[in-house]
Amino acid sequence: MSSGSAALEALRAAARDPRSYIRAWRSTHPGQKVLGVLPMNFPRELAHAAGVLPVIVPDDQEPVTEGRAFLPEFYCGYTRNLADQAATGRLSDYDALFVADHCIQLLGATDVARELDPARPVFLGQLISSLNEPWAVRKTAEMMSELRSEVERLAGVTIEDTALAASIRAFNRDRALLREVFDARRSGDSAFSPVELQDIVAAAQVMDPDEHRELLAAVLRDREATARDERIRVHLSGHLCHAPRRELLEVIEEAGAVVVDDDLWTGRRYLQASVPEAIPPMEAIAQWYADRNVAMPCPTRVQHDVDWDEWLLDSVHRSGAEAVIHLMPKFCEPHMLYYPELRRALDTAGVPQLLVETEHEGIPLETFRTRLEALVERAHRNRPAYA
Amino acid sequence: MTTTTQAYLGVDLGSTTAKAVVIDESGTILAASTVAMGAVSRAGMRRAVDEALSAAGLSAADLAGTVSTGYGRRLVPGAQRSFTEITCHARGTSAMVPGCRLVIDIGGQDSKAITVDDHGMVQEFAMNDRCASGTGRFYEVLAQAIEVPLEEVGELALQGSNDLEISTMCATFAETEIVSLLARDAPIADIAASVHRAIASRTLALVAQVGRHTPVVLTGGVARNPAAVEFLARALDTGVLVPEHPQITGAYGAALLARDAGRRGRQVMDDVAGADDLFPRPPETHSCGSCDGTSSTGAVALGLPVRLGG
Repeated sequence: MSSGSAALEALRAAARDPRSYIRAWRSTHPGQKVLGVLPMNFPRELAHAAGVLPVIVPDDQEPVTEGRAFLPEFYCGYTRNLADQAATGRLSDYDALFVADHCIQLLGATDVARELDPARPVFLGQLISSLNEPWAVRKTAEMMSELRSEVERLAGVTIEDTALAASIRAFNRDRALLREVFDARRSGDSAFSPVELQDIVAAAQVMDPDEHRELLAAVLRDREATARDERIRVHLSGHLCHAPRRELLEVIEEAGAVVVDDDLWTGRRYLQASVPEAIPPMEAIAQWYADRNVAMPCPTRVQHDVDWDEWLLDSVHRSGAEAVIHLMPKFCEPHMLYYPELRRALDTAGVPQLLVETEHEGIPLETFRTRLEALVERAHRNRPAYA
Repeated sequence: MTTTTQAYLGVDLGSTTAKAVVIDESGTILAASTVAMGAVSRAGMRRAVDEALSAAGLSAADLAGTVSTGYGRRLVPGAQRSFTEITCHARGTSAMVPGCRLVIDIGGQDSKAITVDDHGMVQEFAMNDRCASGTGRFYEVLAQAIEVPLEEVGELALQGSNDLEISTMCATFAETEIVSLLARDAPIADIAASVHRAIASRTLALVAQVGRHTPVVLTGGVARNPAAVEFLARALDTGVLVPEHPQITGAYGAALLARDAGRRGRQVMDDVAGADDLFPRPPETHSCGSCDGTSSTGAVALGLPVRLGG
């Protein structure tokens, strides 16, 4: 196995089995804590600067069993999976759970985890969601400061600004390298499949940033650019805070489409914004939070001068995507709320689109394949060769 | 029979039936066959193809092109390429009923609502994605539960009152409800009528995803059920057109796609765009039955309107 293949395998392993990665990390970092972070906006740099491994707890794609007793079916698959992880002891690798967002379903899952294991610290922070308010900057700074204090309490150390600045640089370097990969894909490189890219980003959400970047660099050294073929170019939109199931991504490309860009959580949404390095680190983290919604709008934020639909159209224009596939987890309320605007905007622009409502289990792949192929057949007629 | 013109084959290997249609260069149907299967079956598909070719007096070697569709579309030997049922039903139905704007296809295991634009191209589509409610399977459940042959439940339903409560969400639970109604001695005609009403409501929810458009054409095996057509017409508050052979519209569309590629001088397998390059085109006639392609033929009398969401 080449060094690049071995590096990719290491990334894939971390993405798909974070608990093994955590245990390995603990063995080389005795006495240091592991923080489970729930998406989307907790600044992992704070934990990293305190010597804590911050892991964004992924949907581990296991069936929901005992967790069904705690969250009903109308919670999204990710939060029901989190409840199941809590109910079956699969969160035991985390010394604490922190959340900085206000999704009611996510808070429900966090409450399940807190109830089932009262001894594990759980911190519920809420970064302000109304970003145009005059007090937004101040409230963001206050919450970031509170998060810093809570991390210090967990780690038993004081976070120095110099350490925080170093952590910011480490995460920025990793995100920058990831962006190079995604930008290359947008520009016509199809060296990586959607599943490979999802694994690479999901690994970044688990691993130490320097380790991830070194592995990714090894992968890139070993992987030559590959010109995109003539399949229908699609943009994947949605799945704001967890990964779509891998088999869905595989079917998309089997059905005659090629993914050229996305705004998925395990895609561009994670890596699009960097933390400013030229300003004091706490200010920088607060600024990063504000910048994220501009770099890639999120329907959980309210910002009157930022529109997801406009962003999506711009993105489609930049990548040359010929169709958009909406991957909407049942029942993600923010996404449901914004979907009509997205649909209208794409319709107006003449961009074919397909809404796929995803579930944690029981995805009817054959029906999904038929619908995708119909989208591809429809998108073909927009090509100049067939005008 | 021998033919001096080019012949094309369309094969629709669905979940419960295999359909094959042979057409000539003009789009006229030379022969068609429909074979019922237990499930997707190569044997059923071969039988359908053999029967259609035999009826047309042709052999596979005589075919200028073959296109497959349906769940088993990848199993059809000799097909230069396949298209989805969505594209094929739109193509076939638009040719059979020029000017149609909404195609509702109810097959054995799924149902689809497809809007077609002024040129007959697929505009929007919606499919049931995981539930048998509103599909042919739902009617089979009804027929088994009330012990009436499937082909007779429609006539029975037209004689009943449709005011019994039936779940529209799950074919399995609906069976439980039917059994419960039988246990309460409810007339089977009323049960049949109520199930048909419930299925029409389910179909209306599917149509709502793509928008109501007229003229409406119902295809698939369920279209042969007069009560299904009647209750759907009531639900949509408009007439519903039914081609004489509603089960073969997908296969007919597939055959037309093969023919269209041939007309452009391309091998079917190279015709990547397939259905996308078919239009605009003049309305086509077909000779498969009594439907004359006008919006009045096959129309069903309107009943009580049912509003979306109601």
